[in-house]
Amino acid sequence: MRILRIVAAFLRAAILKETAYRAELVGNLFRSVINIAVAVGGLAVVFSHTSELSGWRLEQAMVLLGVYYLVQGVVQTALSPSLNEVVTEVRKGTFDYVLLKPVPSLLLSSTRRFVVWHIADVLLGGAIIAIGLIRLEAQITFGVAAIFAGVMVGGIAIVFSIWLALTTLVFWFVRVENITMIFQLFFDTGRYPVEIYPFWLRSLLTFVFPVAFITTVPAQTITGREPLVAIWLAPLIGALALLAAARFWRIGLSRYTSASS
Amino acid sequence: MPPDVSVRNLVKHYVVPERAGGLRASFRSVLRRKHRLVRAVDGISFEVDRGEVVGFLGPNGAGKTTALKVLSGLLHPTDGQVDVLGFTPWDRRAEYLSRITLIMGQRQQLFWDLPAADSFLVNKAVFGIDDAVYTRTVDLLTELLDLGDLLTKPVRQLSLGERMKVELAAGLLHGPRVLFLDEPTIGLDVTMQQRIREFVTAYNAETGATVLLTSHYMADVKALARRVIVIDKGRLLYDGALDGLVQRYAPHKTITVHLERETDLPDLNGQAEVLSVEGLQITVRAGKDDAPEVTGRLLTQLPIADLSVEDPPLEEVIDQVFRGERL
Repeated sequence: MRILRIVAAFLRAAILKETAYRAELVGNLFRSVINIAVAVGGLAVVFSHTSELSGWRLEQAMVLLGVYYLVQGVVQTALSPSLNEVVTEVRKGTFDYVLLKPVPSLLLSSTRRFVVWHIADVLLGGAIIAIGLIRLEAQITFGVAAIFAGVMVGGIAIVFSIWLALTTLVFWFVRVENITMIFQLFFDTGRYPVEIYPFWLRSLLTFVFPVAFITTVPAQTITGREPLVAIWLAPLIGALALLAAARFWRIGLSRYTSASS
Repeated sequence: MPPDVSVRNLVKHYVVPERAGGLRASFRSVLRRKHRLVRAVDGISFEVDRGEVVGFLGPNGAGKTTALKVLSGLLHPTDGQVDVLGFTPWDRRAEYLSRITLIMGQRQQLFWDLPAADSFLVNKAVFGIDDAVYTRTVDLLTELLDLGDLLTKPVRQLSLGERMKVELAAGLLHGPRVLFLDEPTIGLDVTMQQRIREFVTAYNAETGATVLLTSHYMADVKALARRVIVIDKGRLLYDGALDGLVQRYAPHKTITVHLERETDLPDLNGQAEVLSVEGLQITVRAGKDDAPEVTGRLLTQLPIADLSVEDPPLEEVIDQVFRGERL
């Protein structure tokens, strides 16, 4: 309850902040729409030359793209703003104020900032998923929807964990913006099914940097394609990744409190 | 009643990378870093009672900020025991953090683009402050700090001094019992420094909170703290009354006389040293015990228009302390 109240307070502040800059708000929404339109157009161009891409049809690839934007929207709305703030604050020394609050530092560090207009990506992503599913004439039962939701939550947990782990490196290296750029690089591969990549890259994207679990697997579950790996692996890996990242955060923090001046 | 703050033999060493200037040294340090041990705090002990205002004095790098950070739980000490309000600070228990505050003059916590009132609401949620208590506290702080309409303006539009006032308020919303203030007046103009000092005094009187503050400005310390702790190079040099510091480190008086007309200097019997002769004004320095006799001599031997006997300025005393000298 207390946690919800804290998150609500931060969310309120975030909305006030975004609406204070209306021009930026409109500009960013515009950019989101263009981005997604271009991506869908790109798919259309590819599929005008072929009816299948590594076994994926246009509509299935659209659903996958929708999942990509939905996850990206969640990350950019709720996860990356807070974690990027940690990087800035550690450098400026204001991270101390986070540690002075009577709330677990990890909770505060990951729920403090929201960039609300990125919700647009979530909504547009959802819309593309819906369009793809309608054109596929997919029969979405409650069971399929529930499995899809579970797989998505697992995927988002994986994204959050990777981002958190990369952010935690700030306690050793101070400048880590470039490291989070690497994340975006890998994450961008998730616009397409992992099957289109060569074997070595596909393995890398499934087991080392599990982008496959973030977009390919959820899209497979809901479009009725044969899943790449067992579906239950997604939430399991998500949960394990969260635990590992939280542990790493504690190690980083203990370094911060013992080594900094 | 046990003291609010109890520090026993506190030690904080940390390791910093070290490299010489220049491109070659830079390249070398990328591959192999050299490290140096910094003894930021090197065995200090003191206690602070409930409601006391204590000034932490020391030159840059003396270890003041490090000590405050250990006390507020941000840093694990290398050695020693610290007890604040019955808690070990670096356990960072929620109950502890709700009872203290650390306000750093050079570091802001408020949302830059929003009015402070919005940041206050976030702190209200984070500290779980009741509506009634919150309203009462904001009213009190608004009155003591003369916040007026400052809370409704975006923080970025506030002057440095105004910002410091709202920062102080933000750090005090949860009604902490112990205040750690690190350079709360740094960079402010004289009038604003004065306002902040008056506030700390009033807040201490109103709430009975214990205050530990560091400052570069002697005026802060003179106005606020009856007791000072002087540290340098991580070691405690002095802990006691401000007056006592002067007694101990500057056991002399400065005697200034204005003459009615020019005349020869009197024989001071080796009990005093002439510091300066500027026209009709002569300044001499004498040991505390000799001061009355020297003053007597001056009065009988010289055509005096005016005479004053003073302690040396505090700045000078502190300077002597840091240089490890005694007059």
